[in-house]
Amino acid sequence: MPVRHVLQVAHLGDVTAVPGSLPQMLGLHNLRGQILPVVDLALLLGIPATTPPARLLIAEAGGRQAGFAIGEVSEVGELADPTEETESDLLVGATLAGGDLIGIIDVTMVFDSLEGRGSARPRR
Amino acid sequence: MHDLDADLTDIFRDEAAERLDQMETSLLAVESGAAGAGSVDSLFRNAHTIKGAAGMLGLDDIRTLAHAVEDVLAGVRDTGVFPPELAAPLLRATTVLRAQVSGTEVPVDELLRDLAASMAMLSPGEAGASDAGGPGDGPAPTSPDDRDAGDAGRPGVAPTSPDDRDAGELDPEVHQPPAQRRPLRVPAEKIDRLLDVVGEVIQYRGRLVHSLGQAQLSHEVADVLSSGERMLDELKDTAIGMRTLPLTVITRRLPLAVRDLCVAAGKDVEFIITGAATALDRVILESLYDPLAHLLRNAVIHGIESPAERALANKPSRGRLEIRAMPRGSLVEIVVADDGRGVSPEVIEEARREGSLADVLARAGYSTAPEVTDLAGRGVGLDAVRSYVQSMGGILEVRSEPGRGMEVILLLPLALALLEALLFERGGTVYGVPLVVAEEVVMVSQTLTLEGRSVLEVRGRPLQVADVAELVGAQAPPLGDRSPALVIGVAGRRAVATCDAVLGPEEVVIKPLSPLFGDVEGYLGTAVLSDGRIALILDPAVLTRAQRRGAAMTTPRKAGPVAPKILVVEDSFTVRELQRSILEAAGYSVVTARDGRDALAALDRDTEIALVVTDLEMPELDGLDLTRAIRADGARSSLPVVIVTSCGSEEDRRRGIEAGADAYMAKQGFDQQALLATVERLVGR
Repeated sequence: MPVRHVLQVAHLGDVTAVPGSLPQMLGLHNLRGQILPVVDLALLLGIPATTPPARLLIAEAGGRQAGFAIGEVSEVGELADPTEETESDLLVGATLAGGDLIGIIDVTMVFDSLEGRGSARPRR
Repeated sequence: MHDLDADLTDIFRDEAAERLDQMETSLLAVESGAAGAGSVDSLFRNAHTIKGAAGMLGLDDIRTLAHAVEDVLAGVRDTGVFPPELAAPLLRATTVLRAQVSGTEVPVDELLRDLAASMAMLSPGEAGASDAGGPGDGPAPTSPDDRDAGDAGRPGVAPTSPDDRDAGELDPEVHQPPAQRRPLRVPAEKIDRLLDVVGEVIQYRGRLVHSLGQAQLSHEVADVLSSGERMLDELKDTAIGMRTLPLTVITRRLPLAVRDLCVAAGKDVEFIITGAATALDRVILESLYDPLAHLLRNAVIHGIESPAERALANKPSRGRLEIRAMPRGSLVEIVVADDGRGVSPEVIEEARREGSLADVLARAGYSTAPEVTDLAGRGVGLDAVRSYVQSMGGILEVRSEPGRGMEVILLLPLALALLEALLFERGGTVYGVPLVVAEEVVMVSQTLTLEGRSVLEVRGRPLQVADVAELVGAQAPPLGDRSPALVIGVAGRRAVATCDAVLGPEEVVIKPLSPLFGDVEGYLGTAVLSDGRIALILDPAVLTRAQRRGAAMTTPRKAGPVAPKILVVEDSFTVRELQRSILEAAGYSVVTARDGRDALAALDRDTEIALVVTDLEMPELDGLDLTRAIRADGARSSLPVVIVTSCGSEEDRRRGIEAGADAYMAKQGFDQQALLATVERLVGR
């Protein structure tokens, strides 16, 4: 995720599920009095999660905020511009780094699609 | 310099709009005969002030038109006669002035000619002065009787709002002449921010009290805390007070709008506003005019019948349209009621199956009129009104009785941010509903299962019982044998919702659910509680809606051939609905009638009715006469009739049986099972 979108990383803590919402919406988290929606990133991107999420990556785009439930922040560093096309509308693209293919999340598109406004519909 | 001008123009707009409001109220009174030449002074003063201020600001079009209005009013003052017909051109002028004041350019030449021509009505002996009593006799106050006679058969509206008349006392702030008020102009955002901060401080107090809860506090600390609490309450009320305005701010314009509609639609309507002094959040008020105007438009065009149609239905030829507002805890209830045709019995039936009348009518494009007129646009548009109410964190409900009218009920928060909520827990999640909809808390240990539906008798009425988890679609372990439950009542619809624990009331700062949840429905918002947990605040309609039809499909009786249809005849709404729910729970299909005559009409309409359950004492045609009428009619002389009545004497029973009833049951000690057994025996199942 581009660092300019990242506000902070926190412990996942308590999440209150909202019945009737999409499964990738884990629920709500109380971040020091502010109610934050929590998105299950693995489910959203349709990738198998190997471990249950433990951390909350709090991101912002266009005035909208959400916490992404993730396993762990592996590294913060510079990446070249994405060179590879990806199938998912929720990624800007992908970049090869040290032998790994790294997908870059399009935070704005993720928010739009969850709100039901974007062209991409979230995976069920 | 330019800024100063802009500021002055703003102030002029506010003031002129207020004066135009007052003028329209007076002119409508004049037009309906409720006011005479005595009201001319304030009209003249208002027109004169608008003219002067417009002249100073170089708004020449406004000045010219206001001047023409002033001329007409000067004529009225001089002759001492105010013919009601003169109100129409003057109202056209105030409408145009209002448009001009808000910055719209409107051609006025024709209007100026009309106003000049209307002066002719003031000359003695000219046509048009006929209604006004003796010309030249000075002010001629019209008696109420004269007014009724003069209005008969003429479409129009009589603004008879008791509030408006008393408003001077009820709400001096709003009705004083604008010049005497010295409001401070503060940007709305600053007040919004103030209330936000107050909300946060209330939350903070909650957390503080919660964390101190365990510790043993000294008297001093407790004193300090409680005086802090008092001050905070006062601060909250003051902040809310700054953000609220009385409903009059928008309702003053409504009588004119209704009058115009009535004229266009050929309807004769009495329009009444009560509770106009009720305060409401400014943000809500700003956007409430359109939805209210929409509901009134629907009522005039679709709801209230033409005078001729009303005469046929034995109704007074003048329809009644009402707006009632009253505070209900941290919410405000606004009811738009008409005595028109209401929705059809079929729609009521559909609403019973689907959960609520609001659900059915709010389906896009639903209309109660067989054809759509230009005036109302396409469809009733109740869906738009409902989305609006929900977006404000409010609740929309609809009640209707076929042929008798319709009520649309808007429950809106008094202040957008704060809500008095009743909190409860289910499956580890905290939920809340507005406290006003929670009627009581009961323990549910044993429910009656009537044909697949769980029912609990609360104060003599069987209410649907359902698990909160099931109603909202949450995962939760099954409830124990004895569980606490809330009795929820929304606009006459009541149900029981069971949960793990009722936590009690708490004032919460409500935040809308993040838009990232897409179009999830059923939540008014979310709130952080004093213990740091998050509560989901539910739209109470979620808890009262009928359970899915799937459950009923599995019951054996429903699966059989068509359920026998029973006609319930009863003038008491409560008893009627009680009998309906008992019979429906047993798998019968039920139609209802309010009295004997209504019942005979229903029998004519519907040949499938297999049995009649009737009350004895009813207006129009009573139960004995109904029974005799049925027996006397060859086609249905063998139709089974059960009389259920509070007249339980032997003599009454004998008269009932003599009239031809098949069974006679007393209401005292009313026994559901006995009724069902009798009905079952008579329809032969």
